Amino acid sequence: MKKFVNDPKNFVPEMLKGIALANPDTLRYVPEYNLIMRADAPNHAKVSIVQGSGSGHEPAHVMVVGKGMLDGACPGDVFAAPPMEYVLETAKLLASDKGVLLLVNNYTGDKMAFEMAAELAEAEGLNVRTLFINDDVAVKDSTWTVGRRGVAGNFFVMKAVGAASEAGADLDELVRIGEKVNSVTRTMGIALTPCTPPAKGSPLFELADDEMEVGVGIHGEPGRRRATLVSADEIVDELLGAVVPDLPYASGDEVALMINGLGGTPISELYLLYGAAHEKLAAQGITVGRSYVGEYCTSLDMAGASLTLVKLDDEITQLLLAPAEIANRVF
Amino acid sequence: MSPDVPRVESVVRTIADTCIENEKYFGDLDSVVGDGDFGFSLARGFENVVAQWDTFDRSDVGTFLQKIAIVMTGRIGGTSGPIWGTAFLRAAAVVKGKPDATGEDVVAMLRAAIEGIKARGGADLGEKTLLDALAPMTDTIEANLGAEPKDVAKRAAESARAAAEATKSMQARRGRASYTGERSIGSVDPGAIAVAVLAERVAETW
Repeated sequence: MKKFVNDPKNFVPEMLKGIALANPDTLRYVPEYNLIMRADAPNHAKVSIVQGSGSGHEPAHVMVVGKGMLDGACPGDVFAAPPMEYVLETAKLLASDKGVLLLVNNYTGDKMAFEMAAELAEAEGLNVRTLFINDDVAVKDSTWTVGRRGVAGNFFVMKAVGAASEAGADLDELVRIGEKVNSVTRTMGIALTPCTPPAKGSPLFELADDEMEVGVGIHGEPGRRRATLVSADEIVDELLGAVVPDLPYASGDEVALMINGLGGTPISELYLLYGAAHEKLAAQGITVGRSYVGEYCTSLDMAGASLTLVKLDDEITQLLLAPAEIANRVF
Repeated sequence: MSPDVPRVESVVRTIADTCIENEKYFGDLDSVVGDGDFGFSLARGFENVVAQWDTFDRSDVGTFLQKIAIVMTGRIGGTSGPIWGTAFLRAAAVVKGKPDATGEDVVAMLRAAIEGIKARGGADLGEKTLLDALAPMTDTIEANLGAEPKDVAKRAAESARAAAEATKSMQARRGRASYTGERSIGSVDPGAIAVAVLAERVAETW
């Protein structure tokens, strides 16, 4: 697998440096903690929103730092939770008078690092709350696991709390909004190829030319099953068949529909999937009120896509409509 | 037993040095059913503690242990850092602001550490983790509180060793080892063995 890379150990810092150099007016880079933060943070008129997680999911989360979204992101190495110190020091640097909200995708390592950092930050007198995102329907809740994973649906939680914090909502209100959005968001993904972490240099798992992994995680973790590749329409049926009954979404509901690329799939194919999903939902009486097509949460160079639904109400719709200014732009 | 700050210091230093010395041994134990990074994580965490040893605030026992927790956990990934760091952090909270710790405090610190590990790792007794050595060891210390400190340390070590060896027949329910299910039966838990090794060294150096 060919990649643009120097020393693989420096892959993440070199990417972060590029983001900072491309956005000198709006972003600041703190190399000690892999931190990309808004240049004007902390803003004491609003709660600071922080997301950590591993790298390799870009634009999540370092490229969605900006007005109306995150105030800072402190990723770990590729597919690795950030060390506790990154989270603690980020919370301190971004501590505003209104507090700090930590958004965490639900994985064991991330959960532990963020919970411990929050405990230490509180001991130092900071006003910190933590919110876990777990939208992946592929993993069943189990007594023996940390539970469902956080995947592309994290975008909607970030967008909603980002907009609300910009409008001055306090920490309790943001937790309420974040938990509400998370509770009506469901996602499932499908992989056509594995991905290749720069430090490993070879694919993370094997997938034959005629196979797909149904319910794949954003680090290439196994999903529900491995199956023979089928048509795009049949794949959309499979994804909707898993996502729609899970909440459930029902006839008469208005939803946001996201087709998210996992890093190695052209946007043409994503729009093809979107069109099929939109029509199939309409046939079930479910109206798409907001649409999202593109790369929001990836797995490096994995070919594949995920489908996310969010059940909309007036409050969520208004928060999704609010403007945002982030580094990940093409205009 | 009534350890003052220097006694707490020497116990923590023994724990740090022992974890660094046993990096390979702990890692080998972990590679049987885990992912082999347990020895590495503990050694790197405690190396940071040793490197900054002279800079820690020693104004009271709680502050000292809290600094240990932060430095120990700060830069290591995985789950061992947060779990061991949380144990130190919760123990620190028990003696926050106290110039000294009594024998009863030591038991309370260990109980708080156990509760912290349960909360952070979502684990309970009998699930083949370090708790299965730590809890019986704490019971032994509590039952022997009136005895000579050196004897208490010796009995605590014996209890931790017996309990750690007994994890061999347990099935892992938490952490990476849990993915191996029944295959985890027949090998000891690396975290429980680490607790036994540490208790033995603390008893030897008392």
